[in-house]
Amino acid sequence: MKRCRYWRKRIPEAIYGELEPKTREKMDRHLAGCRGCAALFERMAAAVRKMEVRPAPDRSPQFWEGYWDRLEARMGLEAEAPEKARAGSPRPRTFSIPAWAYGLAGALLFLSLGIFIGRTVLRPGAELAPLVRAKSSGIAPGGQPGLETGRVVPALAVRASRYLKRSRVLLLAVVNSDPKDEEPFRLNLPLQKRTSEELLQEAAVLKKGLGSADRRLERLISDLEMILLQIANLTSESDEAAIEIIRAGVEGRDLLFKINLSETLRPAAKSSAGQPPGSWGGNGNPAPVRTAAAA
Amino acid sequence: MSREDEARLADRLIAGDPSAFRELVAAYQRKVYGLAYEMTRNHDDAEDVSQITFMKIHKAIGTLKPGFGLNTWIYQITHNAALDHIRKRSFYPKEALPSRASAPHPQEPPDSAPGPEERAESAGLRRRIDEALAKFSERERAVFILRHYHDLKVKEIAQTLNVSLGSVKSYLFRSIQKLQKELDLLEPCPGDGERP
Repeated sequence: MKRCRYWRKRIPEAIYGELEPKTREKMDRHLAGCRGCAALFERMAAAVRKMEVRPAPDRSPQFWEGYWDRLEARMGLEAEAPEKARAGSPRPRTFSIPAWAYGLAGALLFLSLGIFIGRTVLRPGAELAPLVRAKSSGIAPGGQPGLETGRVVPALAVRASRYLKRSRVLLLAVVNSDPKDEEPFRLNLPLQKRTSEELLQEAAVLKKGLGSADRRLERLISDLEMILLQIANLTSESDEAAIEIIRAGVEGRDLLFKINLSETLRPAAKSSAGQPPGSWGGNGNPAPVRTAAAA
Repeated sequence: MSREDEARLADRLIAGDPSAFRELVAAYQRKVYGLAYEMTRNHDDAEDVSQITFMKIHKAIGTLKPGFGLNTWIYQITHNAALDHIRKRSFYPKEALPSRASAPHPQEPPDSAPGPEERAESAGLRRRIDEALAKFSERERAVFILRHYHDLKVKEIAQTLNVSLGSVKSYLFRSIQKLQKELDLLEPCPGDGERP
Protein backbone atom coordinates (compact mmCIF):
# COMPACT_ATOMS: atom_id res chain seq x y z
CA MET A 1 0.00 0.00 0.00
CA LYS A 2 2.87 2.31 0.86
CA ARG A 3 4.41 1.59 -2.54
CA CYS A 4 1.08 2.28 -4.19
CA ARG A 5 0.92 5.71 -2.55
CA TYR A 6 4.45 6.46 -3.70
CA TRP A 7 3.80 5.46 -7.29
CA ARG A 8 0.40 7.08 -7.49
CA LYS A 9 1.95 10.40 -6.51
CA ARG A 10 4.34 10.04 -9.40
CA ILE A 11 1.73 9.28 -12.06
CA PRO A 12 1.58 12.90 -13.35
CA GLU A 13 5.36 12.94 -13.80
CA ALA A 14 5.15 9.67 -15.67
CA ILE A 15 2.35 10.97 -17.89
CA TYR A 16 4.39 14.05 -18.80
CA GLY A 17 7.57 12.02 -19.26
CA GLU A 18 9.48 13.57 -16.40
CA LEU A 19 10.56 10.34 -14.74
CA GLU A 20 14.07 9.03 -15.19
CA PRO A 21 14.12 5.90 -17.38
CA LYS A 22 15.09 3.69 -14.43
CA THR A 23 12.32 5.11 -12.26
CA ARG A 24 9.85 4.67 -15.08
CA GLU A 25 10.87 1.02 -15.43
CA LYS A 26 10.28 0.47 -11.72
CA MET A 27 6.94 2.16 -12.00
CA ASP A 28 5.97 0.00 -14.96
CA ARG A 29 6.87 -3.08 -12.93
CA HIS A 30 4.65 -1.85 -10.12
CA LEU A 31 1.79 -1.08 -12.50
CA ALA A 32 2.11 -4.51 -14.02
CA GLY A 33 1.53 -6.07 -10.63
CA CYS A 34 -1.03 -3.62 -9.24
CA ARG A 35 -4.35 -3.39 -11.00
CA GLY A 36 -5.56 -0.44 -8.91
CA CYS A 37 -2.56 1.74 -9.72
CA ALA A 38 -2.61 0.65 -13.35
CA ALA A 39 -6.27 1.61 -13.66
CA LEU A 40 -5.66 4.99 -12.03
CA PHE A 41 -2.70 5.61 -14.32
CA GLU A 42 -4.78 4.77 -17.36
CA ARG A 43 -7.68 6.99 -16.32
CA MET A 44 -5.42 9.96 -15.60
CA ALA A 45 -3.44 9.49 -18.79
CA ALA A 46 -6.68 9.30 -20.76
CA ALA A 47 -7.86 12.55 -19.19
CA VAL A 48 -4.62 14.26 -20.20
CA ARG A 49 -4.91 12.83 -23.70
CA LYS A 50 -8.37 14.32 -23.99
CA MET A 51 -6.82 17.73 -23.50
CA GLU A 52 -5.66 17.46 -27.12
CA VAL A 53 -9.01 18.74 -28.26
CA ARG A 54 -8.36 21.95 -26.38
CA PRO A 55 -5.37 23.77 -27.82
CA ALA A 56 -3.59 26.53 -25.96
CA PRO A 57 -5.59 29.75 -26.10
CA ASP A 58 -4.51 32.00 -28.90
CA ARG A 59 -5.67 35.03 -30.85
CA SER A 60 -5.92 35.88 -34.51
CA PRO A 61 -2.81 36.86 -36.52
CA GLN A 62 -4.18 40.42 -36.70
CA PHE A 63 -4.21 40.57 -32.94
CA TRP A 64 -0.56 39.59 -32.75
CA GLU A 65 0.45 41.89 -35.59
CA GLY A 66 -0.74 44.87 -33.64
CA TYR A 67 0.37 43.60 -30.25
CA TRP A 68 3.76 45.33 -30.15
CA ASP A 69 2.27 48.64 -31.27
CA ARG A 70 -0.38 48.52 -28.58
CA LEU A 71 2.17 47.57 -25.96
CA GLU A 72 4.55 50.32 -27.07
CA ALA A 73 1.76 52.89 -27.02
CA ARG A 74 0.74 51.86 -23.54
CA MET A 75 4.31 51.94 -22.30
CA GLY A 76 4.64 55.43 -23.76
CA LEU A 77 1.47 56.54 -22.02
CA GLU A 78 2.53 55.01 -18.72
CA ALA A 79 5.92 56.72 -18.99
CA GLU A 80 4.35 60.08 -19.81
CA ALA A 81 1.73 59.97 -17.09
CA PRO A 82 4.08 60.38 -14.11
CA GLU A 83 6.08 63.03 -15.96
CA LYS A 84 2.91 65.01 -16.69
CA ALA A 85 1.82 64.63 -13.14
CA ARG A 86 5.18 65.88 -11.95
CA ALA A 87 5.18 68.84 -14.37
CA GLY A 88 1.51 69.71 -13.89
CA SER A 89 1.40 70.08 -10.18
CA PRO A 90 4.03 70.50 -7.56
CA ARG A 91 4.56 67.23 -5.83
CA PRO A 92 2.86 67.36 -2.51
CA ARG A 93 5.06 66.88 0.44
CA THR A 94 4.51 63.46 1.72
CA PHE A 95 5.02 62.72 5.34
CA SER A 96 5.24 59.08 5.99
CA ILE A 97 5.24 57.70 9.47
CA PRO A 98 7.52 54.70 9.84
CA ALA A 99 5.90 51.45 10.83
CA TRP A 100 7.86 51.18 14.08
CA ALA A 101 6.33 54.47 15.24
CA TYR A 102 2.86 52.97 15.03
CA GLY A 103 4.06 49.98 17.02
CA LEU A 104 5.62 52.18 19.67
CA ALA A 105 2.52 54.36 19.91
CA GLY A 106 0.36 51.27 20.27
CA ALA A 107 2.59 49.84 22.99
CA LEU A 108 2.54 53.14 24.90
CA LEU A 109 -1.22 53.33 24.58
CA PHE A 110 -1.64 49.83 25.97
CA LEU A 111 0.78 50.58 28.78
CA SER A 112 -1.08 53.78 29.72
CA LEU A 113 -4.39 51.96 29.56
CA GLY A 114 -3.02 49.20 31.79
CA ILE A 115 -1.74 51.71 34.34
CA PHE A 116 -5.04 53.58 34.29
CA ILE A 117 -7.09 50.42 34.80
CA GLY A 118 -4.73 49.18 37.47
CA ARG A 119 -4.92 52.45 39.38
CA THR A 120 -8.59 53.12 39.06
CA VAL A 121 -10.40 49.83 38.78
CA LEU A 122 -8.33 46.97 40.08
CA ARG A 123 -6.40 48.56 42.90
CA PRO A 124 -8.25 48.94 46.18
CA GLY A 125 -8.38 52.36 47.83
CA ALA A 126 -5.24 53.76 49.34
CA GLU A 127 -6.47 53.20 52.85
CA LEU A 128 -7.51 49.65 52.04
CA ALA A 129 -4.01 48.82 51.02
CA PRO A 130 -2.47 48.28 54.42
CA LEU A 131 -3.79 44.87 55.17
CA VAL A 132 -3.64 43.65 58.65
CA ARG A 133 -2.61 40.10 59.02
CA ALA A 134 -3.99 38.69 62.14
CA LYS A 135 -1.50 37.19 64.43
CA SER A 136 -1.77 33.67 65.53
CA SER A 137 -2.87 34.99 68.89
CA GLY A 138 -6.05 36.18 67.26
CA ILE A 139 -5.38 39.81 68.16
CA ALA A 140 -5.22 42.15 65.26
CA PRO A 141 -3.21 45.35 65.33
CA GLY A 142 -5.20 47.89 67.19
CA GLY A 143 -6.11 45.36 69.80
CA GLN A 144 -9.26 44.18 68.02
CA PRO A 145 -10.13 40.72 69.22
CA GLY A 146 -12.08 38.11 67.36
CA LEU A 147 -10.03 37.77 64.21
CA GLU A 148 -9.56 34.28 63.01
CA THR A 149 -6.01 33.02 62.89
CA GLY A 150 -4.19 33.89 59.71
CA ARG A 151 -7.11 35.84 58.27
CA VAL A 152 -6.54 39.07 56.44
CA VAL A 153 -8.89 41.89 57.35
CA PRO A 154 -8.64 45.35 55.89
CA ALA A 155 -8.40 47.99 58.59
CA LEU A 156 -10.81 50.22 56.71
CA ALA A 157 -13.47 47.52 56.79
CA VAL A 158 -13.32 47.50 60.59
CA ARG A 159 -13.68 51.25 60.61
CA ALA A 160 -16.60 51.10 58.20
CA SER A 161 -18.28 48.52 60.37
CA ARG A 162 -17.98 50.77 63.41
CA TYR A 163 -19.32 53.66 61.43
CA LEU A 164 -22.33 51.66 60.32
CA LYS A 165 -22.99 50.45 63.84
CA ARG A 166 -22.93 53.95 65.24
CA SER A 167 -25.07 55.23 62.38
CA ARG A 168 -27.64 52.52 62.99
CA VAL A 169 -27.91 53.38 66.67
CA LEU A 170 -28.24 57.06 65.86
CA LEU A 171 -30.90 56.44 63.22
CA LEU A 172 -32.86 54.22 65.56
CA ALA A 173 -32.74 56.91 68.20
CA VAL A 174 -34.05 59.56 65.84
CA VAL A 175 -36.58 57.37 64.07
CA ASN A 176 -38.05 56.05 67.29
CA SER A 177 -37.97 59.32 69.16
CA ASP A 178 -41.18 60.83 70.43
CA PRO A 179 -41.15 64.31 71.98
CA LYS A 180 -44.10 63.42 74.16
CA ASP A 181 -42.30 60.49 75.69
CA GLU A 182 -40.31 60.64 78.82
CA GLU A 183 -36.64 59.75 79.01
CA PRO A 184 -34.98 57.65 77.66
CA PHE A 185 -37.04 57.87 74.44
CA ARG A 186 -36.75 61.58 74.00
CA LEU A 187 -33.97 62.92 71.86
CA ASN A 188 -30.89 64.29 73.48
CA LEU A 189 -30.34 66.64 70.56
CA PRO A 190 -26.85 68.02 71.35
CA LEU A 191 -25.53 64.47 71.69
CA GLN A 192 -27.15 63.26 68.47
CA LYS A 193 -25.99 66.36 66.55
CA ARG A 194 -22.44 65.88 67.74
CA THR A 195 -22.57 62.20 66.82
CA SER A 196 -23.91 63.12 63.40
CA GLU A 197 -21.07 65.56 62.82
CA GLU A 198 -18.53 62.97 63.87
CA LEU A 199 -20.09 60.39 61.60
CA LEU A 200 -20.14 62.87 58.72
CA GLN A 201 -16.43 63.40 59.14
CA GLU A 202 -15.92 59.65 59.33
CA ALA A 203 -18.05 59.19 56.21
CA ALA A 204 -15.82 61.55 54.27
CA VAL A 205 -12.72 59.62 55.30
CA LEU A 206 -14.34 56.26 54.52
CA LYS A 207 -15.54 57.36 51.09
CA LYS A 208 -12.12 58.63 50.21
CA GLY A 209 -10.53 55.43 51.41
CA LEU A 210 -12.99 53.11 49.74
CA GLY A 211 -12.74 54.72 46.35
CA SER A 212 -14.33 52.33 43.93
CA ALA A 213 -13.34 49.19 45.86
CA ASP A 214 -16.76 48.71 47.45
CA ARG A 215 -19.41 50.59 45.56
CA ARG A 216 -22.30 49.20 47.60
CA LEU A 217 -20.79 50.45 50.86
CA GLU A 218 -19.90 53.75 49.28
CA ARG A 219 -23.50 54.28 48.17
CA LEU A 220 -24.77 53.38 51.62
CA ILE A 221 -22.40 55.89 53.22
CA SER A 222 -23.58 58.55 50.75
CA ASP A 223 -27.21 57.84 51.64
CA LEU A 224 -26.37 57.98 55.30
CA GLU A 225 -24.60 61.28 54.84
CA MET A 226 -27.83 62.90 53.72
CA ILE A 227 -29.66 61.75 56.80
CA LEU A 228 -26.77 62.56 59.10
CA LEU A 229 -26.71 66.06 57.68
CA GLN A 230 -30.39 66.46 58.37
CA ILE A 231 -29.88 65.26 61.94
CA ALA A 232 -26.94 67.60 62.39
CA ASN A 233 -29.15 70.47 61.23
CA LEU A 234 -32.06 69.72 63.53
CA THR A 235 -32.92 72.87 65.51
CA SER A 236 -35.22 71.45 68.12
CA GLU A 237 -36.16 68.12 69.62
CA SER A 238 -39.80 69.02 69.11
CA ASP A 239 -39.44 69.82 65.41
CA GLU A 240 -41.67 66.98 64.42
CA ALA A 241 -41.87 67.97 60.78
CA ALA A 242 -38.07 67.72 60.39
CA ILE A 243 -37.93 64.44 62.29
CA GLU A 244 -40.73 63.07 60.10
CA ILE A 245 -38.69 63.96 57.00
CA ILE A 246 -35.70 62.14 58.48
CA ARG A 247 -37.87 59.17 59.32
CA ALA A 248 -39.27 59.08 55.79
CA GLY A 249 -35.73 59.30 54.37
CA VAL A 250 -34.55 56.41 56.50
CA GLU A 251 -37.49 54.26 55.54
CA GLY A 252 -37.54 55.31 51.91
CA ARG A 253 -33.90 54.39 51.44
CA ASP A 254 -34.17 51.25 53.59
CA LEU A 255 -31.12 52.45 55.42
CA LEU A 256 -31.46 50.25 58.46
CA PHE A 257 -31.97 47.21 56.30
CA LYS A 258 -28.96 48.10 54.19
CA ILE A 259 -26.80 48.60 57.25
CA ASN A 260 -27.86 45.22 58.56
CA LEU A 261 -27.17 43.63 55.19
CA SER A 262 -23.80 45.28 54.96
CA GLU A 263 -22.83 43.99 58.39
CA THR A 264 -24.02 40.53 57.51
CA LEU A 265 -21.85 40.50 54.41
CA ARG A 266 -18.80 41.50 56.42
CA PRO A 267 -18.77 39.03 59.28
CA ALA A 268 -15.07 39.37 59.98
CA ALA A 269 -15.24 43.11 60.11
CA LYS A 270 -18.45 42.92 62.11
CA SER A 271 -16.98 40.62 64.68
CA SER A 272 -13.84 42.65 64.92
CA ALA A 273 -15.80 45.85 65.19
CA GLY A 274 -17.38 44.84 68.43
CA GLN A 275 -20.92 43.87 69.21
CA PRO A 276 -23.21 42.35 66.63
CA PRO A 277 -26.01 44.47 65.29
CA GLY A 278 -29.11 44.97 67.30
CA SER A 279 -32.07 42.71 67.18
CA TRP A 280 -33.80 42.42 63.83
CA GLY A 281 -37.12 41.06 62.80
CA GLY A 282 -37.36 37.72 61.14
CA ASN A 283 -38.33 39.36 57.85
CA GLY A 284 -35.06 41.26 57.66
CA ASN A 285 -36.58 44.56 58.75
CA PRO A 286 -35.54 46.27 61.91
CA ALA A 287 -37.73 45.61 64.86
CA PRO A 288 -39.03 48.76 66.54
CA VAL A 289 -36.51 48.67 69.35
CA ARG A 290 -36.05 51.81 71.27
CA THR A 291 -32.36 52.31 71.79
CA ALA A 292 -32.22 56.04 72.15
CA ALA A 293 -30.24 55.74 75.33
CA ALA A 294 -27.44 53.99 73.48
CA ALA A 295 -27.19 56.90 71.07
CA MET B 1 13.31 29.08 -27.28
CA SER B 2 16.27 26.96 -26.26
CA ARG B 3 18.24 27.52 -23.08
CA GLU B 4 21.13 28.98 -25.10
CA ASP B 5 18.85 31.41 -26.92
CA GLU B 6 17.29 32.36 -23.62
CA ALA B 7 20.69 33.07 -22.06
CA ARG B 8 21.82 35.06 -25.11
CA LEU B 9 18.66 37.15 -25.02
CA ALA B 10 19.16 37.79 -21.32
CA ASP B 11 22.73 38.93 -21.99
CA ARG B 12 21.56 41.32 -24.68
CA LEU B 13 18.91 42.74 -22.40
CA ILE B 14 21.52 43.29 -19.70
CA ALA B 15 23.80 44.96 -22.24
CA GLY B 16 20.99 47.39 -23.10
CA ASP B 17 20.38 46.21 -26.67
CA PRO B 18 17.25 48.18 -27.70
CA SER B 19 15.99 45.46 -30.02
CA ALA B 20 16.33 42.73 -27.41
CA PHE B 21 13.18 43.72 -25.55
CA ARG B 22 11.11 43.63 -28.74
CA GLU B 23 12.51 40.17 -29.47
CA LEU B 24 11.62 39.06 -25.97
CA VAL B 25 8.06 40.27 -26.45
CA ALA B 26 7.79 38.48 -29.78
CA ALA B 27 9.17 35.28 -28.27
CA TYR B 28 7.00 35.27 -25.16
CA GLN B 29 3.82 37.13 -26.06
CA ARG B 30 1.81 34.00 -26.79
CA LYS B 31 3.07 32.19 -23.70
CA VAL B 32 2.41 35.17 -21.46
CA TYR B 33 -0.98 35.74 -23.01
CA GLY B 34 -1.83 32.04 -22.74
CA LEU B 35 -1.05 31.84 -19.04
CA ALA B 36 -2.81 35.15 -18.39
CA TYR B 37 -5.86 33.90 -20.24
CA GLU B 38 -5.99 30.64 -18.32
CA MET B 39 -5.70 32.52 -15.06
CA THR B 40 -8.20 35.27 -15.82
CA ARG B 41 -10.39 33.26 -18.23
CA ASN B 42 -11.13 36.39 -20.18
CA HIS B 43 -9.47 37.63 -23.37
CA ASP B 44 -9.55 41.34 -22.52
CA ASP B 45 -8.11 40.71 -19.08
CA ALA B 46 -5.51 38.43 -20.62
CA GLU B 47 -4.30 41.17 -22.94
CA ASP B 48 -4.23 43.65 -20.09
CA VAL B 49 -2.27 41.27 -17.87
CA SER B 50 0.14 40.39 -20.66
CA GLN B 51 0.87 44.08 -21.31
CA ILE B 52 1.35 44.74 -17.59
CA THR B 53 3.70 41.77 -17.48
CA PHE B 54 5.87 43.09 -20.28
CA MET B 55 5.95 46.55 -18.74
CA LYS B 56 7.10 45.03 -15.46
CA ILE B 57 9.73 43.04 -17.29
CA HIS B 58 10.91 46.22 -19.04
CA LYS B 59 11.23 48.00 -15.72
CA ALA B 60 13.07 45.08 -14.14
CA ILE B 61 15.62 44.51 -16.88
CA GLY B 62 18.21 46.28 -14.73
CA THR B 63 17.92 43.53 -12.12
CA LEU B 64 18.80 40.75 -14.58
CA LYS B 65 22.06 38.91 -14.05
CA PRO B 66 24.10 37.07 -16.67
CA GLY B 67 22.92 33.50 -17.14
CA PHE B 68 19.58 34.32 -15.58
CA GLY B 69 16.75 31.90 -16.43
CA LEU B 70 14.35 34.13 -18.34
CA ASN B 71 11.65 31.53 -18.76
CA THR B 72 10.67 30.94 -15.14
CA TRP B 73 11.18 34.63 -14.34
CA ILE B 74 8.71 35.72 -17.03
CA TYR B 75 6.17 33.12 -15.98
CA GLN B 76 6.58 34.22 -12.38
CA ILE B 77 5.85 37.84 -13.29
CA THR B 78 2.89 36.80 -15.44
CA HIS B 79 1.44 34.64 -12.70
CA ASN B 80 1.77 37.39 -10.11
CA ALA B 81 0.31 40.00 -12.46
CA ALA B 82 -2.63 37.71 -13.19
CA LEU B 83 -3.26 37.12 -9.50
CA ASP B 84 -3.09 40.86 -8.84
CA HIS B 85 -5.54 41.43 -11.63
CA ILE B 86 -7.94 38.77 -10.36
CA ARG B 87 -7.84 40.21 -6.86
CA LYS B 88 -8.38 43.73 -8.10
CA ARG B 89 -11.25 42.56 -10.21
CA SER B 90 -12.59 40.96 -7.00
CA PHE B 91 -15.01 38.72 -8.82
CA TYR B 92 -15.15 36.58 -11.88
CA PRO B 93 -17.49 38.10 -14.42
CA LYS B 94 -19.02 34.76 -15.14
CA GLU B 95 -21.18 36.07 -17.94
CA ALA B 96 -17.99 37.16 -19.69
CA LEU B 97 -16.40 33.76 -19.53
CA PRO B 98 -15.88 32.65 -23.05
CA SER B 99 -17.52 29.48 -24.06
CA ARG B 100 -14.90 28.13 -26.33
CA ALA B 101 -17.19 25.42 -27.52
CA SER B 102 -20.01 27.69 -28.62
CA ALA B 103 -17.76 30.39 -30.04
CA PRO B 104 -14.53 28.83 -31.19
CA HIS B 105 -11.59 31.13 -31.31
CA PRO B 106 -10.54 32.22 -34.78
CA GLN B 107 -7.01 31.07 -34.16
CA GLU B 108 -7.97 27.63 -32.95
CA PRO B 109 -7.06 24.95 -35.41
CA PRO B 110 -10.04 23.70 -37.30
CA ASP B 111 -11.46 20.48 -36.05
CA SER B 112 -9.93 17.58 -37.82
CA ALA B 113 -13.04 15.55 -37.20
CA PRO B 114 -14.60 14.87 -40.55
CA GLY B 115 -18.29 14.81 -39.77
CA PRO B 116 -20.65 17.11 -37.85
CA GLU B 117 -21.17 14.51 -35.13
CA GLU B 118 -17.49 14.29 -34.39
CA ARG B 119 -17.21 18.07 -34.43
CA ALA B 120 -20.07 18.37 -31.98
CA GLU B 121 -18.51 15.74 -29.74
CA SER B 122 -15.19 17.52 -29.83
CA ALA B 123 -16.84 20.84 -28.99
CA GLY B 124 -18.68 19.22 -26.12
CA LEU B 125 -15.46 17.80 -24.74
CA ARG B 126 -13.74 21.18 -24.99
CA ARG B 127 -16.62 22.73 -23.08
CA ARG B 128 -16.33 20.08 -20.38
CA ILE B 129 -12.61 20.66 -20.13
CA ASP B 130 -13.22 24.40 -19.77
CA GLU B 131 -15.71 23.71 -17.04
CA ALA B 132 -13.31 21.36 -15.30
CA LEU B 133 -10.50 23.94 -15.45
CA ALA B 134 -12.85 26.54 -14.01
CA LYS B 135 -13.28 24.31 -10.98
CA PHE B 136 -9.55 24.20 -10.29
CA SER B 137 -8.11 26.39 -7.59
CA GLU B 138 -5.82 29.20 -8.78
CA ARG B 139 -2.76 27.19 -7.78
CA GLU B 140 -3.97 23.96 -9.36
CA ARG B 141 -4.79 25.78 -12.57
CA ALA B 142 -1.44 27.55 -12.68
CA VAL B 143 0.46 24.29 -12.07
CA PHE B 144 -1.55 22.32 -14.59
CA ILE B 145 -1.40 24.99 -17.31
CA LEU B 146 2.34 25.53 -16.86
CA ARG B 147 2.92 21.80 -17.04
CA HIS B 148 0.51 20.99 -19.83
CA TYR B 149 0.64 23.98 -22.17
CA HIS B 150 3.97 25.58 -21.33
CA ASP B 151 5.92 22.40 -20.84
CA LEU B 152 7.59 23.55 -17.65
CA LYS B 153 9.14 20.82 -15.56
CA VAL B 154 7.84 20.24 -12.04
CA LYS B 155 11.00 21.83 -10.66
CA GLU B 156 10.61 24.90 -12.85
CA ILE B 157 6.98 25.26 -11.82
CA ALA B 158 8.08 25.14 -8.19
CA GLN B 159 10.55 27.97 -8.88
CA THR B 160 7.97 29.97 -10.81
CA LEU B 161 5.26 29.74 -8.19
CA ASN B 162 7.70 29.82 -5.31
CA VAL B 163 6.37 26.64 -3.75
CA SER B 164 7.95 23.32 -2.84
CA LEU B 165 8.47 20.50 -5.29
CA GLY B 166 6.14 18.27 -3.28
CA SER B 167 3.40 20.89 -3.41
CA VAL B 168 3.68 21.14 -7.18
CA LYS B 169 3.42 17.36 -7.48
CA SER B 170 0.35 17.36 -5.25
CA TYR B 171 -1.30 20.21 -7.16
CA LEU B 172 -0.60 18.46 -10.45
CA PHE B 173 -1.97 15.16 -9.20
CA ARG B 174 -5.09 16.81 -7.82
CA SER B 175 -5.70 18.81 -10.97
CA ILE B 176 -5.42 15.80 -13.27
CA GLN B 177 -7.64 13.81 -10.98
CA LYS B 178 -10.26 16.57 -10.98
CA LEU B 179 -10.06 16.73 -14.75
CA GLN B 180 -10.40 12.98 -15.01
CA LYS B 181 -13.41 12.91 -12.70
CA GLU B 182 -15.12 15.71 -14.61
CA LEU B 183 -14.48 14.03 -17.93
CA ASP B 184 -15.45 10.58 -16.65
CA LEU B 185 -18.96 11.94 -16.22
CA LEU B 186 -19.00 12.34 -19.97
CA GLU B 187 -18.32 8.71 -20.67
CA PRO B 188 -21.42 7.28 -22.24
CA CYS B 189 -23.21 4.50 -20.45
CA PRO B 190 -24.11 1.69 -22.72
CA GLY B 191 -27.61 2.20 -23.97
CA ASP B 192 -28.59 5.54 -22.46
CA GLY B 193 -26.08 8.11 -23.61
CA GLU B 194 -24.32 10.35 -21.08
CA ARG B 195 -24.27 9.55 -17.43
CA PRO B 196 -25.97 12.22 -15.28
